[in-house]
Amino acid sequence: MAQDELSEIAQKMKSEWNRRVSHDYRFWMSDGHSDDTVMWASGERDFSIMTADLPERLGADARLLDLGCGVGRLLRPAARRFGHVVGLDVSEAAIQQAQQFFSDDPRVELVAGNGFDLAGVGTQSVDLVISFAALVSMPVVVVAHYLREIHRVLKPRGVFRAQLYFGTERLVAEDNTLHLRCYDQERFLAAAKYAGFTNEWVRDLDLPFQVSFEDLGMHAKVVSFVREDHAPADSLTIAAALASLKPQGTSVDEVDREANDLEYWMTLNYAETLANRGELERAKATLAYAASFAATTTIDVRDLLQRIVEKVDVPTVAPRDAIWRENIALIARRWPELAATLTNCQENAAITLGSSVDGPIVRSRGQCLDHETKPRSAGDAWARRALKEDRIASAEELVVFGFGFGYHLEALATLSEKPISVIEPEVAVFARALRERSLQPLLARLKNVIVGTPEIAGVFTPHAELIIRPQSQALYPELCNETKAKFYGTRGLTALHPTIAVLGPIQGGSLPITGYTLRGLQMLNQRVREWDVSGFASGYHYVEKFFFDRQKSQGVQGVYLEMISQVLLEAVNEKKIDVLICMAQAPISGRVLTELRNRGVVTVLWFMEDYLRFSYWKELAKFYDFVFTIQRGRCLDEIRKAGAGAVHYIPMGCDPGIHGPVSLTPEERQRWGSPISFVGAGYHNRQQVFASFADMPFKIWGTEWPECRPFDRMVQEGGRRLTPVEYVKIFNSTDININLHSSSERDGVDPTGDFVNPRTYELAAAGAFQLVDERSLLRESFEPGKEIITYNSVRDLKDKIAYYQNRPEERRVIAEAGRERAIREHTYGHRIKEMLSIIYSNKFEQLKRREDGSAWKKMLDRAAPHNELAVRCQASFARGEEPILDGLVADIVNGKGKLSETEQKLLFLYHVRKQIIRMRREEMGHNK
Amino acid sequence: MVMKKRHPHKTNILLVNITRLGDMLQATPTIAGMKLENPDAKVTVLVEKQFEDVCHYLPHIDEVVSVDLGMTCRSLAREQDGIIDAYEYVGEFVEDLRRRKFDYCLNMSSSAYTALLLNLIGIKKNGGWTADDEGYRVIESAWAQLFATSVFHQNRQFNSLNLVDVFRCSADIEEHPKKLLITVGDAARRHAEELIREAHFTNTGPIIAIQAGASQEKRQWSTEHFARLIRILVETMNARVLMIGSKKERAIIDPIAQAVNSPNVAVIAGKTSIPELAGVLQQSQLLVTGDTGPMHMAVAAGTPVVSMFLASAYGFETGPYSADNIVLQPVIGCGPCNPNKPCARPDCHDQISPELVAAMVRLRLAGPVLSIPHDFADPQRVIIYRSFFDQFGFCDLQPLNATTFDLWAPYRDAYRRLWLSDLGGYAIPESPSSRTPPSALQQARTIEGLGDVITLAQQGGSFIKQLVSLIQDPRGSSREMGVITSKLAELDRKIEEVGFRYPPLGPVTRMFIFAKENLSGSEALGLASQMGGVYESLVDRTTKLNHYFQAAGR
Repeated sequence: MAQDELSEIAQKMKSEWNRRVSHDYRFWMSDGHSDDTVMWASGERDFSIMTADLPERLGADARLLDLGCGVGRLLRPAARRFGHVVGLDVSEAAIQQAQQFFSDDPRVELVAGNGFDLAGVGTQSVDLVISFAALVSMPVVVVAHYLREIHRVLKPRGVFRAQLYFGTERLVAEDNTLHLRCYDQERFLAAAKYAGFTNEWVRDLDLPFQVSFEDLGMHAKVVSFVREDHAPADSLTIAAALASLKPQGTSVDEVDREANDLEYWMTLNYAETLANRGELERAKATLAYAASFAATTTIDVRDLLQRIVEKVDVPTVAPRDAIWRENIALIARRWPELAATLTNCQENAAITLGSSVDGPIVRSRGQCLDHETKPRSAGDAWARRALKEDRIASAEELVVFGFGFGYHLEALATLSEKPISVIEPEVAVFARALRERSLQPLLARLKNVIVGTPEIAGVFTPHAELIIRPQSQALYPELCNETKAKFYGTRGLTALHPTIAVLGPIQGGSLPITGYTLRGLQMLNQRVREWDVSGFASGYHYVEKFFFDRQKSQGVQGVYLEMISQVLLEAVNEKKIDVLICMAQAPISGRVLTELRNRGVVTVLWFMEDYLRFSYWKELAKFYDFVFTIQRGRCLDEIRKAGAGAVHYIPMGCDPGIHGPVSLTPEERQRWGSPISFVGAGYHNRQQVFASFADMPFKIWGTEWPECRPFDRMVQEGGRRLTPVEYVKIFNSTDININLHSSSERDGVDPTGDFVNPRTYELAAAGAFQLVDERSLLRESFEPGKEIITYNSVRDLKDKIAYYQNRPEERRVIAEAGRERAIREHTYGHRIKEMLSIIYSNKFEQLKRREDGSAWKKMLDRAAPHNELAVRCQASFARGEEPILDGLVADIVNGKGKLSETEQKLLFLYHVRKQIIRMRREEMGHNK
Repeated sequence: MVMKKRHPHKTNILLVNITRLGDMLQATPTIAGMKLENPDAKVTVLVEKQFEDVCHYLPHIDEVVSVDLGMTCRSLAREQDGIIDAYEYVGEFVEDLRRRKFDYCLNMSSSAYTALLLNLIGIKKNGGWTADDEGYRVIESAWAQLFATSVFHQNRQFNSLNLVDVFRCSADIEEHPKKLLITVGDAARRHAEELIREAHFTNTGPIIAIQAGASQEKRQWSTEHFARLIRILVETMNARVLMIGSKKERAIIDPIAQAVNSPNVAVIAGKTSIPELAGVLQQSQLLVTGDTGPMHMAVAAGTPVVSMFLASAYGFETGPYSADNIVLQPVIGCGPCNPNKPCARPDCHDQISPELVAAMVRLRLAGPVLSIPHDFADPQRVIIYRSFFDQFGFCDLQPLNATTFDLWAPYRDAYRRLWLSDLGGYAIPESPSSRTPPSALQQARTIEGLGDVITLAQQGGSFIKQLVSLIQDPRGSSREMGVITSKLAELDRKIEEVGFRYPPLGPVTRMFIFAKENLSGSEALGLASQMGGVYESLVDRTTKLNHYFQAAGR
């Protein structure tokens, strides 16, 4: 910073502090004590805090400097303890007052500083520098200069003690001389090191009144440093080290106004305090002081002024009941159900009130939902900022997440004519707002108010935009995300039209789920592209024929998988995609995923495996924007830590098109049916459990079962792989279907099993009765005992088989309830909708931009004037095709009725191109 | 006037001939004929933009409309909004063509896009290919159907009608100039003279143009053959040789010229515009060429040609359309081959020796060649033809050596008579022409499979009778009609199969299929009666074909 700018800031400090001290030095410089006696007492207290545990070497002959001494509150005890004390303050008014206090004390030397150095204090002339409640309101650059100066004036191994705020870095405009600054502790200590100090300790500052502001992350501290011999860095370096953030407030006007408004608000509150204490004259003088410097303030202090005036004149009780009655009457007229909810709402201890220049503010669990000090102007600034955003500017409707006490909404309603709806997650907050603030004009203006768990159906329109209040987001992050997901997710389903490729594995359990996923997407009218790579499986296994050494074949298979990856990348070159959903085990490498992401493709992995058993996610998670898991808890954290963009839980499901009741002939029942069946691969625990079923009428279907006894008689049709249609027949013709989640390590039922396998949903959807082992996540999907029957041990399983074997009616009721639940909540359609909601809510802007800039968009715009062509283009677009001629003519089949003119023209173009290409080839000599 | 005509009167004619120079030249007798027969008619030609200029050198064209397919393809290559650009362009020129209110159109391009375009324009009377409202290609005139039949590869060797004539007859044109036409302006002529002067030939003999390039590599006579031929011409005939062609063909021409290395060989390929090339050809006494665009241009410029029909080229089909040109057609089991298939071993090239070509050049330079000495050329290797016009004004080829080894000649002859009689309405005697002595095959006196076709066609006739009575019967069962319809479909399939099985029956069965495909109308009785006619016609044609064939054997 240039010297003249620094001088300017220093000058501002000087003049503003002169003004404050002239008004009331007790208020501005000593916690607003009512008289000097209390002020001196507080000085004693603070001095002892600042000088606790001083080294012995600082004896009575030591020299002390109090930086920012004000009127000398700490100088009295200091002078008593040390032989020589220097008080320095930027305010001449303060120094003059101090001179009056210390006029006959030779130990006290008073210096009016220039605001950026300690000129007048000799080099290496003091042993101890203290600064209480002074550095905290100084601009960073001034602090940096002072640190250098303190180093200069201190003797070697001299001590510097400062009262500071450490915590969440909070800086205000550089030339703000009143607001408290809060530093990041590590940064400040590092900066002090640059300035030539070693930190001795950092201690909490405890005072009889609130001095730390936990909710803002500001912790009052006393910090002790020792001066080192090395020379300090320059002040720029120190300043840069002190603060990472740019000061808030960019325009000079704004900076001035903020400082002004705070001072104004503090002054008025002080006036109110004085009025409350009965010091009416001082209160009036304070009001006059406020008016003297803050004539141009923009904040609305009518409420506060009204209160002061009322206190000064005739005190009255605020008509809170009347406010509530009027507000709730309006609510009852517009939203009767909401009125009922609000009337029944209990007071909530976590909701507390505060006051500001503009009126009451609200805190929920300590978080202030309005601006702490000036909610009205802050709300205005917020609304202006919001309206500047393109998406908001172009929206037809606005939906705001977070009501608080509504100041920001009042501003928004004034600045914008668009319909506004609001979501307030906490009923108690909104109820409180209705008690504290007269909100009828705002409530009349709002289109819709949703309170409590957001059900956005009412506020959702395709052209509405959601604006999220940071305060409300901080307080209800989950709910906010959910709202965002519902809002943009739901909206994305209609407003976005990405091409979604679905990549299955070349083989294995998630292969059929790939098909279900595709159908789910199609049902949601998404533009889908299937990447069926199952045809590569035979080649993959063919490699094994060439090697004895399994490692060698695995090595070559790795190359083979990379080749498949490359095929996919080349396919994208030909046919663009926007979203790629990979099923577990999908053969795609990090290299290709990275390349796709570089091209703006959103990458998604549905990791439908036990993350503890299959660990390949550790390598691959970082290549995905979204990973969906079938487990919760640590699984989500671990995959997130592995670098995935976002990780969410989405369980498996059923496909009602496949998994449903089927009617079977007696022959089919004979073939597929059994009193007890199991369908699935022969994992360790299943073998171990089902070996003991040898004496039961029990059929096993599936692969990887031993051919030895007792399985030779249980396993059906040679243990071949079954198709989904076949196993649905088994489900339907079996009395009791056993479902046992696989384990390769444990015997029997895994007591810690969490995720629910697809079979559970498939059996339920088929309307089949199943006994399934207990899983911690099962209860989210089905109600045990009512919709599904669980077992927790082999013994339990056998007991339940015995019980249900002869109770067909009970089985039927449970199976039906299970089916009903599965169809209602657990289809792949539901799963995909949820998945897309998450993807679309998080990537809405990216996908929208991509779509707006896409070739399709251009083509659709161009086609718009040609009605039939436009419809045809739309249809081709909806089918997920590329914007190419072949796609447009694909369904124009000769001889399927009369061709329209548009169809003939397109066919004409199609054949022109074909013919010309053929002729060119001939010309090129392809036809020898 | 004896020819059968569908649309004798035309006033505002559109001729669609979009993409090839040769095709346009071959249309000139038809255009001239249109003007001869309908002196007040306006003839508009629709061509691809790059050929627009050339059309100005073709006589009797009143207006040229061009379509920029190159640009359209470039737009389409962009896909996306390029498709819309192309679509809008199509819309504009379709509108432009509609505004011109043509009353007759002749489109002899079998391409799907021209057919679609014509349906879009909606011209009522058509001589060639168009499309119906469902996008099917429609060939209305029997002559155009014959065109399609004749170019169908399996049928080619049974055709002896020059496509220029088939084209002409499709438009019902009987009067015509019996040659192709091009206007050689003074400027073009002067440029040609300049080119010849600049060659500084030392020889003083005839100027012989050589077109060495060919459209396909398999039709490309070898560098060695051309070099040897040119050496003979230069050294033994005192000839001055002009090597013509396009710039692209320099890759073929330059090695030949270098091999000959004579001051009497001038390469002017790439130095002439199309009219200038016509000027050069006009200045030449003769052109030696394959079946190429310059061959047609020489014919149009009035210069005789000695032409080699190698590989897929077939002299009867696309030979030089004027009298007294020489056509050399190799005799080889695989020729003429399929134009769409490549050939790695073009043995047909060696059937014709440079010496033979040189000898034919020498003969032709002396005047029209009406006969050649016995054993002049081995009839097992090549048949030498002379072009002429028959009594009906159709171009034909007269063999100058024996056709003993041309197995298909009698069939070709029988078919020629059949079509002239049946489609043209000309009175054709059943006696054979004297020029086709009986071949070994002909000794059988009958065409194999012919009886099957007649039986099937007669069956068809009786099915139709049943169908007609069912249609006429108010209680006629639609199920029974369905049964008959499917029997007819099966029958047609069998007829087509006979045509595949016995190649000489290919043309007559293919014509039958085209006739059925192009039945028009939706009224059941009318359609049934038309179908009945098609079966009757098949019986008649097959019977006639047999008579002509047997007569040829007598």
